[in-house]
Parts: sequence; C-alpha cells; structure tokens
Amino acid sequence: MSVESYLEDRLDRDVDGEKLTAILVFMLPGLTLFAIFSVGPMLYSAVGSFFTWDGFTIGQFAGFDTWVATFQDDAIINWSNLLAFQYPMGALPQNIIWMIVHVPFSTLLGLGLALLFADLRGRSILRSMVFLAFTTPTVVIGLVLLFVYDPQAGIFNGLLRGIGLESAVRNWVQEPQIAIYALIAGGVWVQTGFSMLLYSSALAGIDPALLESARVDGAGRFRRFKDIIWPLVKPVTAVVVIMSMIWVIRIFAIVYAAGGPSGGPGGVFSVLGLEVYQAAFSTPIEYSKAMVVALIELVIALPMAWYIASMD
Amino acid sequence: MTRISMRSVSKYFDGGDTVANYKLDMEVDDGEFVVFLGPSGCGKTTALRMIAGLEDLSEGEIYFDDDRVDGMPPADRNVAMVFQNYALYPHMTVRENIEYPLKVRGVPPEERDERIAQVAGLLHIEDQMDSDPGEISGGQRQRTSLARAIIREPSVFLLDEPLSNLDAKLRLEMRSELKRIQNELGITTVYVTHNQEEAMSMGDKIVVLNDGTIRQVAEPQELYQRPRTTWVAKFIGSPPMNLFEGENRDGTVQLAEGNTLPMPAETSSSTVSVGIRPEDIDVSIEPPDTDWTVPGTVKTVEPLGEFVLVNVEVGGSVVNVKVPKTDAEAGDHIHLTFDPTDAYLYDEDGELVA
Repeated sequence: MSVESYLEDRLDRDVDGEKLTAILVFMLPGLTLFAIFSVGPMLYSAVGSFFTWDGFTIGQFAGFDTWVATFQDDAIINWSNLLAFQYPMGALPQNIIWMIVHVPFSTLLGLGLALLFADLRGRSILRSMVFLAFTTPTVVIGLVLLFVYDPQAGIFNGLLRGIGLESAVRNWVQEPQIAIYALIAGGVWVQTGFSMLLYSSALAGIDPALLESARVDGAGRFRRFKDIIWPLVKPVTAVVVIMSMIWVIRIFAIVYAAGGPSGGPGGVFSVLGLEVYQAAFSTPIEYSKAMVVALIELVIALPMAWYIASMD
Repeated sequence: MTRISMRSVSKYFDGGDTVANYKLDMEVDDGEFVVFLGPSGCGKTTALRMIAGLEDLSEGEIYFDDDRVDGMPPADRNVAMVFQNYALYPHMTVRENIEYPLKVRGVPPEERDERIAQVAGLLHIEDQMDSDPGEISGGQRQRTSLARAIIREPSVFLLDEPLSNLDAKLRLEMRSELKRIQNELGITTVYVTHNQEEAMSMGDKIVVLNDGTIRQVAEPQELYQRPRTTWVAKFIGSPPMNLFEGENRDGTVQLAEGNTLPMPAETSSSTVSVGIRPEDIDVSIEPPDTDWTVPGTVKTVEPLGEFVLVNVEVGGSVVNVKVPKTDAEAGDHIHLTFDPTDAYLYDEDGELVA
C-alpha cells in the first residue's frame, strides 16, 4: 500500500463532517480555558526564560544565561554541600531528597493503615481521623509542625522528655541537618491519609473469595499479602506513588509556614516552589529565574502526570 | 481418605440473633459424595465453610476421621474448595493458579510440573495453561478451579455451588465430568447446591437443609420415594408432590374435597395429609372403578413434549399431574386416580406415617 493511499484511508474513513464540527464546537470552551490558563503560561515561561527581564517587562534575548546562572545558584543547587551531603544543598536536591524519603513512607504507611483498618470495628472513624490531615490546609499543617517541634511546649519534645531522652530535646525545625526530616515527617502525616484512602477502596474491591481460597490453599497471612493482595493493589500503588511525587514537587505552604520565605536557617529545607516565590516576589525581582525554576518543576512533574493519565 | 463427622454443630451470627445452623449431626463416609441441598439462606454454605475452616463453630465438633479439626486453620485440614465464582487469582495464568497450592506448600518445581501436567490432562485444559483467567470461558475457568483444588490431593473436597454460573448445556457436561473425576480420585466430597437435579444426579447421599437444620439425610432414590416430611416432599420433585389435606376417621381419610380414601392411618393425629407425586396420578374422564380417586376440574393443559402437565383444580387448590398424553381439555370435569402404594400419609406435624 502506498503512503498516499494509506493516508487517504486514514483520513477519509468514517469522518462525519457534521459530527466533527459538533465535537469541535463542544470542545471549544474547554480548550480555550486550557489554552489560556495552562498551555499559554507554560509557553510564556518557556520563551520568557530565554530573555532578560526588568521587573515584569521583557528585555533582551539572553539565550541560556539564566539557565546556567540558575544551576550555579547556591540556593538552587549548592554543589559543594551536595557532594559533602551537608545541608543546605539547594532547593532542587532538597526537593528530591524530600521525595525519596517521603514517598515510600507515606505509601507504606497508607497501605499498612488500610490493611489494619480493613476488618476493624469503627474503621470509618479511624479512617476519617487519619484522612483529616489531608483535608487540613497545608499552611495550617506547617504551623502545627512548629508547635509540635517547639522546644518548650511542643508535644514531640515532651514525648522525648517523657521517655527520658532529655538530651535529645531541641528545636527540630531549626537544626540545619535535621530540620528537613522533621518537616518531611509532617508531609508524610498529610499524605498517608490520602494513600490510605486509595488503598482502602482498592482492598474493598478484592473479592474475599480470593483470600479465602488462598487460605484453603495453605497460604499464611504474609503469603496472602505477598501473593494476592500486593499484586492486586499494584495499579493503586502506581497512582499513590506518583500522586505523592507530584505532591512533593509542588510542596510550598508547609515549608513557607515553618521557615518563612528563606526556607529555614540558611535555606536548609528550601524547595523549588519556595525559590519560584522568592525569585518572583521578593526584591530583587528575578522573573526569568522564577520561570526557569518553575520549568524545572514542570519537567519533573509532567512525565508523571502523563503516566497517570495514560494508565488504563 | 477421610470420614467427616459433624456433631451437634451450630453457628450463630450477630451475637446469637441469627441462627445459620442449628445442631447439625451427620457423617460423610470415606470417599462418599454428599450433597447439601436446600433453598437459599438455609445454611448449607455456612455448614460447608465450617468444614473448610473458613467459619468458626459456635457450638459442636467436627472430626476428620478421629481428629478434631474445628479450631484448626483451613491450611492444616488438607481440604480443597471450589468457590461459586471460581475465585481464580486474576493476576496469575491458569498454570500459576493451579500451581499455587503446591508452591505455597513448598513442593519442588519438578514435581509441580509433573502434577500440573497430570491434572491438566484429567480436566482437558492443556491448551489454556498460559492464558489469564479473564481470557477463558466460564467452563474452562470452572475446570481450572477444579484443577487447583484437586492438584494437592486433598483429603476432603468441598464445592460451593460450582455449576451455578454456567449455562444449562455446560452445566450438564460439567456435572458428569465432576462425577467422573470424583469417582476416579475417590476423594470424600461435600457439594452444596440449591439445584435438586444436580443433587439427585451426583450425590451418593443427600442432606436436605432448611432454616439451618437437617430435614432428611437419604440416598437420592429414597429421598424421592420416601420424603420424611411434607416440607421435603414439597421441596423435591418438579413439580413437587401434591398434598391433599384430610381427616383421619376410623381407618379412612376423609379429604377436605369431600371424598374418602380407604387409607388406614397409624397415627393419633386427626388432621393428616396425603401426598402423591404428579407422575403417579392418572387423569380419567370417565368415573373410574376404584376408591382411590379424587374429582377435579382441569384448569390448564401444558404439553411439554416429553409429557403433558395437567393442572387440575381440586377443592380450592391446584394439583399438578404428569401424564404421557391426555384427551382432557381445560374446563373438563375429570377424576384423578392413583395406586394406593404411591400415596404417602403425613401426620399433623408433617411427619411421614406410611
């Protein structure tokens, strides 16, 4: 078959002109909004990142200057600290560390709680309590974390005193090498509710006869989990993992509430979102840098969004 | 090879508010094929699940031979179960499904392959081994589920309405298939169904359950010929047995319909009922020369090919009659005749007297 006839075949077959018009007309409002609020700004920043900016006014073409400068900026990547694994390492590595620690914890905790609550009396109350953190505004979570880690009144330090670890008492969010993990714990607390909810519905969807059959076949608790439950909730795991990765890459309010625009002392828990905010809204305004950092976020998040959207 | 004994087994749900089973006492002999038969909600599946170990007993004991097994987890009882919806693991191929019980029990791979090939041959599913359960037909899924159950040579084989999701033709085919496999393997089998045809054709022995209790334990032929209570009589047979109510008076039964049957009743009950199967009644247009007759009016005549089903109004109720052929038409006044040996007498509690 020639290329021409193939194309003709593809193009002409079953195309109903009227239907096509109708589809386009109905899609127009949605596409317009999508173009104005999603595609437009993305292209705008993609183009804008190659220009110089005077405040919010576009200047001259600058090529990759801003990109190079951004990757050499200690606030984004502090290469020497990164090699020594010393905080602050810059927003990008810190954001990635956040992801690496946060995602497995929130996923496994969510699954664990979902399994634990599955056959429990009062499970809806327990689930609501865990899920509550996810419904709370993240700014509030950040403030709550400040209270939790407060050296005098904080419950966490109170707990340490209670078990006799007086020497460990400190202001956790002010300790350069530990602060980020203290905040990650808060993030895990928030996200666990979400992953637990997704896992709960996935578990409810498993035919109980499968687990009974496995019991009769001789599988103990662990084998039933490993051979039956885990493979059957795998699609949900993919969603949970990617949703938490996207959540972490977009994280802002918790960090801002806990450490202000600088991201803690010396930026020890600064993240990409915070850097975008800093570059765009605090003097000196570095609009092109804000665009570059936002694009870095986008480049990380887009493939994950693509993966989720193309799942069956 | 295992004999199952249930001794006074009861099961209550909701803290005793719901009685699923009450004082079940029965034995399944070694290698026997026993069917639990009853309407939905009669507790037959719960009884099976207690044998499997999927439900705890509220009271009573279950023995496999001389070992008490209630309280043991299902894995330790060496039972195999086939579920109504087959319960095939959707993420495993047919082969992996069949292999799973062996894998769990740590059977070495070479032996597994050998046994898989064996059961696959026995159940004729060699060609589907690498398919996913979602890709094969209902009958093949059923075979896969059977293969998974028999592969580890269980001492007890439990089936929970295994044929109810199949179409009529396949059901007939699987029925004889199941019976063949059970004969070949000689595994003690308990089979739950609400379908009396399945029960009659497959069971060595049938346990009829209703409201959580055993109504009768009998061989299929006996169950059909001597139903011990009116409930069983009305449950077995299609259409079920006809029951005529009457009064027990000096060696005769005076029917509510007006005529008298010379039927000596050895019971103190004054109210009795006479049961006659539809296939044991004849329709006669002329008044017959016998005392064993009941007059009635034909309501409908249903020619079903194999036989004709005549619905006759007697008194206020409808009597079903199965005859090879008839000249009677709707509206005809006719006489139902029967042989005295085909009539059963039940006392006022519904128990069989003679």
